[in-house]
Amino acid sequence: MESVTPSQNNWLQKVWFSVRIPFLAIILALIVGAVVLLVSGSNPLEAYAQLFKGAFGSLKNFQRVLEKSTPLIFSGLAVALGFKAGLFNIGAQGQLLLGAIIAGFVGFSIKGLPSYVHIPLALLCGIVAGALYGAIPGLLKAFSGAHEVITTIMLNYIAINLTDYLSDGPWKDMSPGNIVSRLPAIEESAKIGTIGPVPIGFIVAVLIAFLIWFVINRTTFGFEINSVGLNPHASKYAGMRTKVLIIAALIVSGALAGLGGAVETQGVVGRYQPGFNAGIGFDGITVALLARNSPIAVIASSLLLGAMKGGANTMQFYANVPNEIIDIIQGTMLLFVTAEMVVRWVFKMRKRSETEITVTAGWGQR
Amino acid sequence: MISETVKRGPFSHINWKLWRSVILALLILAAILFFNARNPAETRAVLRSTLRYAVPLILGALCGIFCERAGIVNIGIEGQMLLSAFTSYMTNAWTGNLMFSLFVGMVTGSIVGLFLAFLSIKLKLNQVIGGTVINILAAGITGYFYQVGTTTKGKFASIPLGPLADIPIIGPLLFNNPPITYIAIVLVIVSQIVLFNTRWGLRTRAVGEHPRAADTLGVDVFKIRYLNVLIGGVMAGLAGAFLTLEGVGLFERGMTNGRGFIALAVMIFGKWNPISSAMAALFFGFANAMQTQLQFMGIQIAHQFVGMIPYLLTIIVVSGFVGRSRAPAAEGIPYEKE
Amino acid sequence: MKKRLFSILAILLVAGLVLGACTPKGTDVKPPADDPAKTFKVGLVTDVGEVDDKSFNQASWEGVLAAQKDLSFESKYIETKDAKDYDANIQLFIDEGFDVIVTVGFALGEATHKAAKANPEVAFIGVDQFQGEVVPGVAGLIFDEALSGLLAGVLAAEITQSNVIAAVLGTDLVPPVVNFNRGYVGGSKWVNPEINVISTYHPGGMDVAFTDPEWGASTAKQAIEQGADVIFAAGGKTGNGALIETAEHAGLFCIGVDTDQWLTVPEAHKCLISSATKDISDSVVALINLAVEGKFPSGNYLGGSSLAPFHDFESVVTDEIRTKLEEAKAAYEANQIELPEK
Repeated sequence: MESVTPSQNNWLQKVWFSVRIPFLAIILALIVGAVVLLVSGSNPLEAYAQLFKGAFGSLKNFQRVLEKSTPLIFSGLAVALGFKAGLFNIGAQGQLLLGAIIAGFVGFSIKGLPSYVHIPLALLCGIVAGALYGAIPGLLKAFSGAHEVITTIMLNYIAINLTDYLSDGPWKDMSPGNIVSRLPAIEESAKIGTIGPVPIGFIVAVLIAFLIWFVINRTTFGFEINSVGLNPHASKYAGMRTKVLIIAALIVSGALAGLGGAVETQGVVGRYQPGFNAGIGFDGITVALLARNSPIAVIASSLLLGAMKGGANTMQFYANVPNEIIDIIQGTMLLFVTAEMVVRWVFKMRKRSETEITVTAGWGQR
Repeated sequence: MISETVKRGPFSHINWKLWRSVILALLILAAILFFNARNPAETRAVLRSTLRYAVPLILGALCGIFCERAGIVNIGIEGQMLLSAFTSYMTNAWTGNLMFSLFVGMVTGSIVGLFLAFLSIKLKLNQVIGGTVINILAAGITGYFYQVGTTTKGKFASIPLGPLADIPIIGPLLFNNPPITYIAIVLVIVSQIVLFNTRWGLRTRAVGEHPRAADTLGVDVFKIRYLNVLIGGVMAGLAGAFLTLEGVGLFERGMTNGRGFIALAVMIFGKWNPISSAMAALFFGFANAMQTQLQFMGIQIAHQFVGMIPYLLTIIVVSGFVGRSRAPAAEGIPYEKE
Repeated sequence: MKKRLFSILAILLVAGLVLGACTPKGTDVKPPADDPAKTFKVGLVTDVGEVDDKSFNQASWEGVLAAQKDLSFESKYIETKDAKDYDANIQLFIDEGFDVIVTVGFALGEATHKAAKANPEVAFIGVDQFQGEVVPGVAGLIFDEALSGLLAGVLAAEITQSNVIAAVLGTDLVPPVVNFNRGYVGGSKWVNPEINVISTYHPGGMDVAFTDPEWGASTAKQAIEQGADVIFAAGGKTGNGALIETAEHAGLFCIGVDTDQWLTVPEAHKCLISSATKDISDSVVALINLAVEGKFPSGNYLGGSSLAPFHDFESVVTDEIRTKLEEAKAAYEANQIELPEK
């Protein structure tokens, strides 16, 4: 470290400063997981080794990690963008479900299109579905003050009911071999493939993450979103259209989640089927918080979670460890990263003044 | 807001709000009597089912009310309930002592409550995120540690309250229940009195509405918040214990199935008021019991749409289309002493 | 810093010890037999859920274990957590050279068929996986749920005193559950056209319909209070809730589902007269045996559907009732009993 020039040193320091809390949180969470494993009679080192092998042991495994990370990037971006505007979008799950089912519907019902039309069309419909579903809490928040946390929780339940109804009713797969509720498989022309081991959906996700980064950091819209999130009252006086911004933020957030669902349907599952998208929207919260709402870091934290999910079955198979340990590690990680005071307290760090996320509080109207 | 003299109509002295409630109550009573005359067994079954479904919602909502009246948002009720259901079940499976298991459930709820309070008061963590963390952790911990193959050692039985239980209709409904149901009913009334007719309640609400002013008047904001979240935790613990010690007597991974979130809806429906929330919980319970009863009667409707009703209603209410409800003003904002 | 780190770790360790007092299950592996030749290996992939679900995952795994008693082979299971992992979980077994792979649930059908095409040397047993056309290498183990439901209905109609019988069911999104109920209603009406059958499906989605024991219990109670004295519970843990609730009331009967629930839900012994079973375990044993002998069949394989033993209630089920059950089965097989649509 002696030889680095001051500027390099600064740069390194800057990077370390921005990643140290999540990094230490991950380490602490892994330690907690290890303790739980140890106490319940498993060998944590072996478990973690298998987890790693399951995630990166072969090209095929790595492809699964990328596949698992893709929807997480989208839902993570959706939640992160909400946070930037001071909104907590727990509804990413519902928006994602609608995006997934609409893309599935467009994917199977329209036949004979070339893929360069069919793929974007289905994606677009997924985006619109998510955006419209995101617009509901946005409109409610802007015009009646209903808090987005409560409306999106409720909208999630409604989305589950709605998609269950559609996949068991009007859009059910009636092919002779089928007995369960699901949509028919999408046409080949709507399927999104891979380049080598890398799913195209993942590439799209990464590009979108950079796009969102650009929008947030380099455009007026992004600036306004940030200001609304940091201080809604001040920005109102500064002449910003707070209401419009809230609605816009939730629409974009919903669109991202919807796109995530669509990519999942077209790129991985191949049809809409209830239960295949479970929990992705909620994992988006973990992803966004781990990434501290930075769109670029969302890619990294999605890969981390994707690797844990991708490696979990290998760990279970070879190290005989129940899958649920992943939930415990993930929950602890989230705890440490959000309660960064805990981490600071453990490692005796001083607080650096930095912009913190402010999520509007309470369900109230104001 | 227009400053003109208020015109007093001939009916302006009537308290319409009160009359509305009275008329509604009479209508409900008439309906119950009507159906009771037609088919007493079915009516009783539906009403008892309504109450049974409502009890965990009532207790969960009370948890929310105590936390939020003191200014702490708690969306971790689902996790609190799940963890308490788990610990009380495991205790029961090991010791077979119901009262002790109930105690363990309450303690679990309050420990989780304290944890949330610590995160949001001491560490000033965003409270919604704190609740989310609790929900995720609860699902992970109970899923990992649940031992399949443990069997229950019984559950709370109904205790008829002497001659009261023989009163037609309300006797079997209100006075022949297992203990946690009684506790819930009593707690609703006690909470209402505590919150609105005692010094403690006044302080709690002051802390939730205007902590700075309360502080100036010598109220210990932090203490009030900690204690209220603790009390709320006990309620959530009772709700969880209800499921495994009094309801079904069985634990299952994820068995709360969103009841904690519906309890939140119930709380908002009831405008952060214990009695109104209990009414809202009964309404949700009734919707559920009727859904079952309609199927019993052979009436088939797409159940997904019936299933949506509580959630749709909550959105409508929280949006202020019907009976707007307002949250405590200082809710969710960490208090900083000056 | 070290001190704090240490104290945190100490706290975690204590917390871990407290939590860890109950040791969770690990996936069960039998050590390979000391046979020098390549050991035969049987693997099982569960549907989303746990292997000890007291339902079809568990019954299938018990089948594997039962087969293991007579034949010496290595066995292992993996629990699926995310429906998108079906392929990957099957692949783990293929990579380890397993000879027979049991996949449980219709939802795994597509993944199983795909794996069978790529690995013709592996025998796949697809529990509950109906095949539209024969898939080579896959035995689609299917059951006539309506038959065992029908027998349950006949039994219920024979033993009821009140002429009101009930069914508490998982979701109607799953065809086997619907078929159980069709049989139940049809069978009871065949005995007594005047009988009042009150049945209800869980209103929630796939994610909650089978894991809501409290709903099952309160619904059973609601039925009992309006006079039902026999409760048929078909819906995983939701149904188990209904069984346990019924056991709380003296003089009532309950009927379980899928496996002999006398063995899986001991809390219900007071009321459990029988269970409408699909003989998953026995069929899995039979298919594994066929695979070992090299006579593994492809295509649909109809497993047995019947009533489980009456255990403590042998004396309740009189000879007349037993004859009636025989008659019902014969009549059903001769297509003489009409079943309702849903």
